[in-house]
Amino acid sequence: MRSDSGKPSSIPIKIALALLQAMTLIFVITSVVFAVPPAQAPDGEALFTSKGCIACHTIGGGDLVGPDLSGVTKVRTEEWLTKWLTAPDQMLTSDPDAQALLAQYNNVPMPNLGLKPDEVAALIVYLGGGATTGNTAIGLAAGDATSGKAYFVGDERFENGGPHCISCHSVAGIGALGGGNLGPDLTTSGFVKSDAAFATFMGAPSTLTMGAIWKNTPLTAQEQADLYAFLSKATVTQREPSALLQIALLSVAGAAALIVLAQVYWGKRLRGVRKPMIERTLAAKK
Amino acid sequence: MDIRAHVSMVFHLDKCIGCHTCSIACKNIWTDRKGTEYMWWNNVETKPGTGYPTQWEDQEKYKGGWQRDENGKIHLRLHNRAGGLTNIFYNPALPTMDDYYEPWTYDYENLFNAPEGDDQPTARAVSMITGKPMDSIEAGPNWDDDLGGSPVYASNDVNLDKLTEEEREQLNEIERVVFFYLPRICNHCLNPGCVAACPAGAIYKRGEDGIVLLSQEKCRAWRMCISGCPYKKTYFNWASGKSEKCILCYPRLESGQPPACFHSCVGRIRYLGVLLYDADQIEKRASAPDHELVAAQRDMIMDPFDPAVIAAAKKNKISDAMIASAQNSPVYKFVKKWQIALPLHPDFRTLPMLYYVPPMLPVLAKTKDGNYDVDGLEKEGLPAMLSSLEKARMPIKYMASLFSAGNVPVVEEVYRKLIAVRIFKRAQKVKDYQQAEVDAALAQGKTNAEEVEAIFRLTSLPTYEERFVIPPLGREVAVEAWESPLDRKREAGFGVRNKIAKRKF
Repeated sequence: MRSDSGKPSSIPIKIALALLQAMTLIFVITSVVFAVPPAQAPDGEALFTSKGCIACHTIGGGDLVGPDLSGVTKVRTEEWLTKWLTAPDQMLTSDPDAQALLAQYNNVPMPNLGLKPDEVAALIVYLGGGATTGNTAIGLAAGDATSGKAYFVGDERFENGGPHCISCHSVAGIGALGGGNLGPDLTTSGFVKSDAAFATFMGAPSTLTMGAIWKNTPLTAQEQADLYAFLSKATVTQREPSALLQIALLSVAGAAALIVLAQVYWGKRLRGVRKPMIERTLAAKK
Repeated sequence: MDIRAHVSMVFHLDKCIGCHTCSIACKNIWTDRKGTEYMWWNNVETKPGTGYPTQWEDQEKYKGGWQRDENGKIHLRLHNRAGGLTNIFYNPALPTMDDYYEPWTYDYENLFNAPEGDDQPTARAVSMITGKPMDSIEAGPNWDDDLGGSPVYASNDVNLDKLTEEEREQLNEIERVVFFYLPRICNHCLNPGCVAACPAGAIYKRGEDGIVLLSQEKCRAWRMCISGCPYKKTYFNWASGKSEKCILCYPRLESGQPPACFHSCVGRIRYLGVLLYDADQIEKRASAPDHELVAAQRDMIMDPFDPAVIAAAKKNKISDAMIASAQNSPVYKFVKKWQIALPLHPDFRTLPMLYYVPPMLPVLAKTKDGNYDVDGLEKEGLPAMLSSLEKARMPIKYMASLFSAGNVPVVEEVYRKLIAVRIFKRAQKVKDYQQAEVDAALAQGKTNAEEVEAIFRLTSLPTYEERFVIPPLGREVAVEAWESPLDRKREAGFGVRNKIAKRKF
């Protein structure tokens, strides 16, 4: 026993060494097996179309809803672009450059497209590669503002069964109570500043909500034209402050009417028997 | 003829001493839970008085019971179908908490824990609803207890409205001041207002015994039953969000015991037994004109000795034991055979199955020239003491308002029979009446010596078995329709069979 105690850990050390060798071997094998390149690296050009960038941006074709992106990689650092493409909504709250851009482009925020890191990288490579798209804007035929309003408020059905704009959007000129609040108020929206921007966006909406809704029920060209005619006209008339007063008056009048109605209908309800009885009796005794 | 059995009740008011033992027995068993503090399924009221909840008899306010229209049809006073729908989320005819009373307890701990001081510690009243101290307690479930002649409570008794101003004034004379007790539980009516008013269909009459029950699973807290019941005997449990009511202690009945309030009654005023009635007649009898209501209700109670009735009962699968129990029923004797028990407020048209023998009340007398003089007895040609109805302390019109929808002759007949019993027995025991006087009393009471003796025995000397003739309820037979009686017996035991889903606050 004494002789063993001279080098007490010789056997454990051997085991540890053997384990280390085994692990190294496994590591090498797995790296060889799995280091095959992934099936496809993201293709920046394809992404530019499929993710809907093209709805708002051109490369060398001039501004649409958003800025022309030619030479963007020279103006912005790669780090800034990565952050911007990954989470534009966060950048808009913190980055002064992003906020300045927002103001410059009619306060239409860049939507978060949910891009993965490799997709972001591919897009930046594509943008820096000198490719151009030309002017992708689609022109619209002349539309009828009256039927556009009918489409907006739901008097007229969309041919492909899409929901009416008023469900989610409000715009000046559709009455005091306005429309839905899920989407932005379109009165000041940059998307209705030019027919090209509107048509490109509505052709393949890039935001999550709009994209999901319109993917299977696209608007026809005539519907787009009519809606644009209405919305571009609606934007001319800014929402008047008196409209808010109208809402307030309506609410107050409605509440008053309900109270009066309740009083008429339930005026004879039982409001207590004991207390009035005792008060009446005591008053009569005096 | 659709003969059904009904566990029915008689309260003999002449024997009630107003001790509230019944109320306490009930409270301890059924309503000592959170949310039920204010409920008194059994309560004892002083009459004349305003009762509990205050002035519950005033249906102009509470809108309970049924109303007869000019075509002789009856409708719920609360609402019609359309009115029920428009009011379903807001029932405008509910008593307020104040009309019952705000239940309270006392901060007893303070008596032990108070820091030493110059004064004795006190136990402050604490509300059982809010948990906050109550500095002034203004109402209770028997706030006007014994306050006959009270200018605030007795004088606001709704039944006094039928009296003339002069009669009302006389009630306040010191020699005439009078009160009696009126114990009340759910009447388990044949035509219940609560059942008719319930939008959820949660209230039902048990087929085999007529007990009115309120399903704690189906109740949706609309509280229409509370308005619909003219006796205000359904209550809303604010903790569970369900309404509750007297269940006539059916678990006790099923095991052969009388309900707790009956069992504990000190004056032994309560009788329980089966009546056989004809269910085909319910609508017709409930729609009778006011002055016929008592007679109509007696008419639909069937003779359990009549072979035709027995045959019809058997056709409805009423057991032989149930029929035998009905033949033995003290309630049948008081209500139908002797006709001295009357329903409380038949004018509500719910056909209540709890009947009252009206109280005789003390004889009216004045002290004249230093002598105690029983006043005004010569008129009727009857001996002193027990005879004069016209000079009764409480005008018969008042009793008629309570027990016969204002039909004075019906109540008078009852009283004349009760007077005959007294004079007959007094002549036997005290021997201060002549035979001629006894015969006159019997004739006026339309009765005979044999019947009077039987009334006396069942009133004064009844045994436990004579007061409570509890039928074998045969619950195991009744449940056969939806579950195996053997399974049920095996699963029965202590606790709640079906847990009640409580409302969360």
